[in-house]
Amino acid sequence: MTSLQQPFFPRMPRGRRDQRRYTERPKTQGLLGRAIVESFRKLDPRLTVRNPVMFVVWCGTIVTVAATLEPQLFGLSKDAPGRGFNAVLAAILVFTLLFANLAEALAEGRGKAQADALRRTQARTQARRLLPNGGEALVDSSSLRKGDQVLVSSGELIPADGEVTDGVAAVDESAITGESAPVLKEAGSDVASSVTGGTLVVSDQLTIRITADPGQGFIDRMIALVEGAERSRTPNEIALTVLLAVLTQVFLIAVATLPPVAAYIGGPTPVVILVALLVALIPTTIGGLLSAIGIAGMDRVAQFNVIATSGRAVEACGDINTLVLDKTGTITLGNRLAEEFLPVGGHTEAELATVSIGASGFDTTPEGKSIVRLAEKLGASSGFDPAGATGLDFSARTRMSGTDLADGTELRKGAVDAIKGFVRSRGGQVPDGLDQAYEQVSQLGGTPLAVCRGAEIFGVIYLKDIIKPGMRERFDQLRRMGIRSVMLTGDNPITASVIAREAGVDDFIAEATPEDKIAVIQAEQRLGKLVAMTGDGTNDAPALAQANVGVAMNSGTQAAKEAANMVDLDSDPTKLIDIVTIGKQLLITRGALTTFSIANDVAKYFAILPALFGGVGLGALNLMHLESPHSAILSAMVFNALIIPALVPLALRGVAFRPDSAEELLKRNLLVYGLGGLAVPFVGIKAIDLAITSLHLI
Amino acid sequence: MFFTKPLFWIPLLLAAGAVAASSPLRLFHPPLQTGALSLLLSGTVALSIYLFAVMIQPEKF
Repeated sequence: MTSLQQPFFPRMPRGRRDQRRYTERPKTQGLLGRAIVESFRKLDPRLTVRNPVMFVVWCGTIVTVAATLEPQLFGLSKDAPGRGFNAVLAAILVFTLLFANLAEALAEGRGKAQADALRRTQARTQARRLLPNGGEALVDSSSLRKGDQVLVSSGELIPADGEVTDGVAAVDESAITGESAPVLKEAGSDVASSVTGGTLVVSDQLTIRITADPGQGFIDRMIALVEGAERSRTPNEIALTVLLAVLTQVFLIAVATLPPVAAYIGGPTPVVILVALLVALIPTTIGGLLSAIGIAGMDRVAQFNVIATSGRAVEACGDINTLVLDKTGTITLGNRLAEEFLPVGGHTEAELATVSIGASGFDTTPEGKSIVRLAEKLGASSGFDPAGATGLDFSARTRMSGTDLADGTELRKGAVDAIKGFVRSRGGQVPDGLDQAYEQVSQLGGTPLAVCRGAEIFGVIYLKDIIKPGMRERFDQLRRMGIRSVMLTGDNPITASVIAREAGVDDFIAEATPEDKIAVIQAEQRLGKLVAMTGDGTNDAPALAQANVGVAMNSGTQAAKEAANMVDLDSDPTKLIDIVTIGKQLLITRGALTTFSIANDVAKYFAILPALFGGVGLGALNLMHLESPHSAILSAMVFNALIIPALVPLALRGVAFRPDSAEELLKRNLLVYGLGGLAVPFVGIKAIDLAITSLHLI
Repeated sequence: MFFTKPLFWIPLLLAAGAVAASSPLRLFHPPLQTGALSLLLSGTVALSIYLFAVMIQPEKF
């Protein structure tokens, strides 16, 4: 179990962000200065009008400034506050607007810093474009168009996004991922043939077909997204905006109808005091922080080296009910290792090892290499000439791989059912001990691979699966949050159930085909649930598009990246669990600050209403014993302004998150931010009132 | 077209509203205060209409 003292994100990608090797790191120096300038620019009413609460404050500021210029503008009354009081009130309202703008500008600035870092990876370079006659032409990378073929050699930058059509080379993708280890790129592979512009070829040579026109590449799209150019409000933000507009409307009508009532009972209602009352009543705190919370949520995802295509996607993470996860690489370590040979049908371990090494002769996967290593440790050798042999790759359809020797001998290894079928198709028999060996390996949570030569089965290889550390705790946390996890695996049902039980996932689909992914997602969605999944291959693209949150690996194909609504630059499928947590944190932060904002308005009523109507029987409401009506109003307004920058760090960082059920989180929210929101302003307003009075500012 | 932009017709509507509201206010206030209060009243109504618009079409704001 994870204790509260432990960080909830046990595995930030690649260590600290500032220690990752980026070609250009985001520059956050001078962020505050730029944000301050931006907060003044955002005073433009054409921008403020997008935020109903702050637009009402903006209108109130104009009225107060007018009353400062001519204190008798709205009525010839001896009770009207003087020019000095009006000027102070106008200044406080301007600062309220500036603080709200600053919160948004700070959040936007962090996104822009990241966009600048991405932009610097887009080095313009010379490219060798292949001509139809077989020649080459040296052109600027910006002149390349979709469909062009280019040749990129060791030491050269890949000029644009593309697919490898010929060659094998190591590519340094650290400009995008921060990971310094080069990755292998080769033609014909579903995943490894996709390359990104701005990355560096560090060995050999590739022929690349360009897949994106200038300005349309992966990095271009990512820049537009993190800069907020395409940021549209999320459904949750829209719903909250409507709620804030309704509250503002109610209080506007209430304040606008006060003067006749006040006139009837004999209380004076100067316009500037009514403005102060209106600003105190409307939820300015959440109104000022709302967009900053949303932008900061996207930024937190970006800090995990994940690019979200929209705030909607990040927010959807917070509502996820079901996680569909691949077993290999997500729940278990990607590399299964050969642990033991279990011979059957009267064969010896040495014979099985010899056939296994032959069947794995062309297998370059970690599993294949581990089989060769184990067989060699037992003294086996393949005993065939690789020059005349042909290798067969593993596929999800055949579920086996192997080698065809020059003399026509077929060596195969693969899923037990697949090998049984293969042997029977060659007229062979399935030996008695095979099913027993299969069950023995499966019950250990391992993957049994049957091995045959032609029509004769030699035995089973025990491939050991290792569950990633801490997975059970992660799934326990997800369960407490009400999220169901489903593991997809090509393994047999016995192995799948053992792994599922050990890892603590809620459900599993064994012997899954790529089509099963989309079927599982659709089935969950039919039950009204929101589903998240990861994928990297072209065959994952439909499921990524179908899922409510689809996270594509950056190492994946272009089709997968385009279908998904998030791209993980580190290509780490486990990160989906972290992303879901960030989405939850975003929603909880918004809820917590809304609760705080509405709760802290209550104290302001107790400051301003007695100040307005103290003379007509409401003096008893002055619970804080504020010194004078004017000091009470100014104290409430100063508190109202200062609480916005005070909460900016919380809005940007997000509230502390615990993996609890929605009911538990709601209770905690109401307790901490509801009661806290009630208590803090009473203390704050009283303290400001004491300061104003003792400094003789009134 | 400038004539179709909100910057053109919002001040126009505010002024028209202020003129309409000024008649009853003129009976109780001097000219400057009448103008200011009628503009304030007109602006408050406009603000209320704006808030209704946000409620109806929040995605446009």
